[in-house]
Amino acid sequence: MLSLTVPLTPRTRSISARIGRLMILTTLLMAAAPALAAPPGDLLAIRARHLMTGSGETLEHVVLLVENGKIITIGEDLPIERGIPVLELADDQWVVPGLVNCYTRYGMSASGYSDLRPNMKAVDELSPRTRASVSGMLGYGVTTAGLYPAGRGIPGQAAVVSTVSGSLSEMVMRDAAYLKAIVGNTSTGKRYLRDGFKEADSWLAKEAKNREKYDKDKEKADKEKDKDKKKEMLAKLGDYKPLAPSEKGQAFLDMRDHKISLLASIGKSADYLHFLDALGDEDVKWDLRLPLSSECDIYHVKDKIAESGARIIVEPMITLQRATLRQRNLPAELHRAGAKLVLVPRRDSAMKDWFRDVGVMVGAGLDRDAALRAMTLEPAGLLGVADQVGSLEVGKEANLIVLSGDPFEAATEIVAVMARGKIAHGEDEL
Amino acid sequence: MLKNKKLIMGLGALWSLSLLLAPSWSYAAPLIDDDKESTDSEEEEEEETWVYLAGGDVYTGTGAFLRGAGILCHDDKIEAIGFDIVVPEDAEVLNIEGYSVYPGLIALSSRGLFGGNGDLEYSVDPFSDNMLLAVAGGITVAVQGTEIGRLNRGRIEDVVVGKQQFTSLSYSLSNPGGRKTLREKFDAAETYLRAYRTWEGAVRSNKELKEPKKTGVDSHALAVLRGTEKGVFRADIQQDLLAIARLAQRYGFRPVIQGCREGWLVAAELGRAGATAIVEARDRRNKSENLVRPGGSSIENAAILHRHGVQVAVAPGSGGISMGGIVGRDIMHMPVEAAFAVRGGLAEDVAIASMTVVPARLLGLEHRLGTIEVGKDADLIITDGDILHYKTFVQWSVIGGRVVYDKEAELYLAHIRPRPVEELAPEVPVVPGERDEEIIEAPKEETETPVENPEEAPAEEPAPVDDGGEEPPPAPEEPPVVPPVDPPVDPPQEGSGDG
Repeated sequence: MLSLTVPLTPRTRSISARIGRLMILTTLLMAAAPALAAPPGDLLAIRARHLMTGSGETLEHVVLLVENGKIITIGEDLPIERGIPVLELADDQWVVPGLVNCYTRYGMSASGYSDLRPNMKAVDELSPRTRASVSGMLGYGVTTAGLYPAGRGIPGQAAVVSTVSGSLSEMVMRDAAYLKAIVGNTSTGKRYLRDGFKEADSWLAKEAKNREKYDKDKEKADKEKDKDKKKEMLAKLGDYKPLAPSEKGQAFLDMRDHKISLLASIGKSADYLHFLDALGDEDVKWDLRLPLSSECDIYHVKDKIAESGARIIVEPMITLQRATLRQRNLPAELHRAGAKLVLVPRRDSAMKDWFRDVGVMVGAGLDRDAALRAMTLEPAGLLGVADQVGSLEVGKEANLIVLSGDPFEAATEIVAVMARGKIAHGEDEL
Repeated sequence: MLKNKKLIMGLGALWSLSLLLAPSWSYAAPLIDDDKESTDSEEEEEEETWVYLAGGDVYTGTGAFLRGAGILCHDDKIEAIGFDIVVPEDAEVLNIEGYSVYPGLIALSSRGLFGGNGDLEYSVDPFSDNMLLAVAGGITVAVQGTEIGRLNRGRIEDVVVGKQQFTSLSYSLSNPGGRKTLREKFDAAETYLRAYRTWEGAVRSNKELKEPKKTGVDSHALAVLRGTEKGVFRADIQQDLLAIARLAQRYGFRPVIQGCREGWLVAAELGRAGATAIVEARDRRNKSENLVRPGGSSIENAAILHRHGVQVAVAPGSGGISMGGIVGRDIMHMPVEAAFAVRGGLAEDVAIASMTVVPARLLGLEHRLGTIEVGKDADLIITDGDILHYKTFVQWSVIGGRVVYDKEAELYLAHIRPRPVEELAPEVPVVPGERDEEIIEAPKEETETPVENPEEAPAEEPAPVDDGGEEPPPAPEEPPVVPPVDPPVDPPQEGSGDG
């Protein structure tokens, strides 16, 4: 029920004379002030009984104020200035941030190459048709997506898109977020990674040589006494033009400059050690992707992963201990060990069951707040867009989901999805 | 630094003591290993690791058996063996009183023990079950393909120990053409070698002499004659074995014979040829029905071969690990394989050597592996008894100077004859909240002396009360949720008696 009610009496208990609250109140009034003059077109308040921020907090009786698609205020028990349209949610409804699926190819072809192609970019696959299907993720609560390049080996760089359909420039948030590399206990995976860095090094060496040559020529030209000749020589030299960027090495140079990160796809504990071995002393930001298999043995290195500070992407899936077939909740174990957990749907086709699958893991011991964080803020951080999306905080995009109940209860369904301040899905349900 | 100094002083003391004790102590002299030194100088910033195995019965493999001795491992080397070792403070101490220490076993052939295919450096999976089971079987070093790898569980560094320098040769009665070719290769190699040595001597006085040309000389045959590679024959039939022995004597190299099932019939000849036999003691070969003279396999094979001077190495019956093979016939059972040879008359120390120092020698790594000596690699297995006994289990393994296996901590064999309970860490008693106060009020002092010797302690004595007095649980800050209605003013004995 989207009701444009004007509450005459703000909740009396809200004026509980707490300084923090008062400050929020003032900002609220200041923000609302221009809205009084003009019709409050872009301003919208949402009042929710339960809200999870995604950054690890669960709030009650929350008021959330949205302006121009951004959250400008959020807090418990805030009064709402008259004139602002209010979206009153039912008491049993929950609000959570829009989900961030950082590892998906929803609606895109799965075929790709299997060698060293770090220059490929998933963003180039965004045709009008694929853009439309990417927007299909909105219905599952996914408001931000990381589209990974298909293929094995080192297949390319992932893009970050908003799933709100629009033009290419509106949708694409980052055209290169991470370089995907599949590393296992085989020679090929390690070799590709090393080859890439070698490629970057050799380009740097060539570039340095080129620069040296230019400097030498310039020096020679500067020393020339004949003015005309000097002018001619300088004109010929011109400004320094760097070499054309190396096709395969550029992504690795970008990684060293921390412009993009590295996402290493590993299968088991041994692969992690081999990945570290292949990486050597390179200073790059890296995260891990672990497709859980039924006998995954990542528990051997969970403490080391936690220590490294890397995020690890896994599916919400109960795995079996080899030989005893004891059930293990590896995502919960990783979280407990201190690793930064990122959860993705079990398959792209299972995106509709994402909440339910994570709910199973929560039922099996995964911390609630960590579970939601693993679906929102952590993946946003992995994609490098945590300053814009991923949690319900002031200044971030107003991407949120209204759920019919507790997020991790099996019967809960998505009621509506708001993306960039607009109800993008389920308007009739409210 | 100070610690090291202390250690050196300790070692010095040990050294002088050992000189007094017995001449057999001469093996305490550290072996020099040049190639290892050079890799160490890369200065990895890893911390030093010290592991001290205290009080085990050490079977060194060099003729000594030291009861209740200590072994100090520094990084991946054995630093000291003896009875008065100064142990650094940060050493990991493993009390193995009553257990036996043997050199790690070496598997001359294996499949999949390293959990992957291809180059060991790239493919090793140090968490794989196969590696676990191989280590549980006492193996510390294994050959996969031509690479010699260490079963370094949990680490992918320092896996490759070396490369196996074997040349596979065939010299069988059933292939006269092949025999001729092999002889020709050796002839050519021999001629070349003779020419080379002549040149080598003459070139000192006349520098213009040219080195003889290698054209037409088989490099492997040459390497075998030079001794840089080992000529390995796969042969079982006595005629073949005899022919190989004569070939080896004719050209002057020491053959390695795999299988060697009828070797006991021609053992004297093989011994004269200086052969090494890699036997599978449990293998069977039926006697040829066409012949009247004795033939076929014999349980005495290894014993007879050894008696005639043939070095015997035991190969695992099957190279791989299968889950069905935990109690079956697979690589787990190198000691059992050797025990069969013992049953056939082989001396026990020779049987142990056949799994340790003889394979090490075959691999050219006897300066690093195969026995427990100061300066050698710290690859040790700790068993709960005679390694050749069928009941014996490996309880711990130290590989590359780290404890990488503990039978109690691993999944597969922990339940079979578990270690006695008093050997385990004492359980932390769970004292119900209501009783806490009673114990704190009246701690029992008289039974509190910590148990020095676990054997003296009664096995079934309940732990909770003892520990409660020894280390009183922290007094609860808050009053109990349900306060006792009437706190009983019990005499202390009663309170602790029902612990």
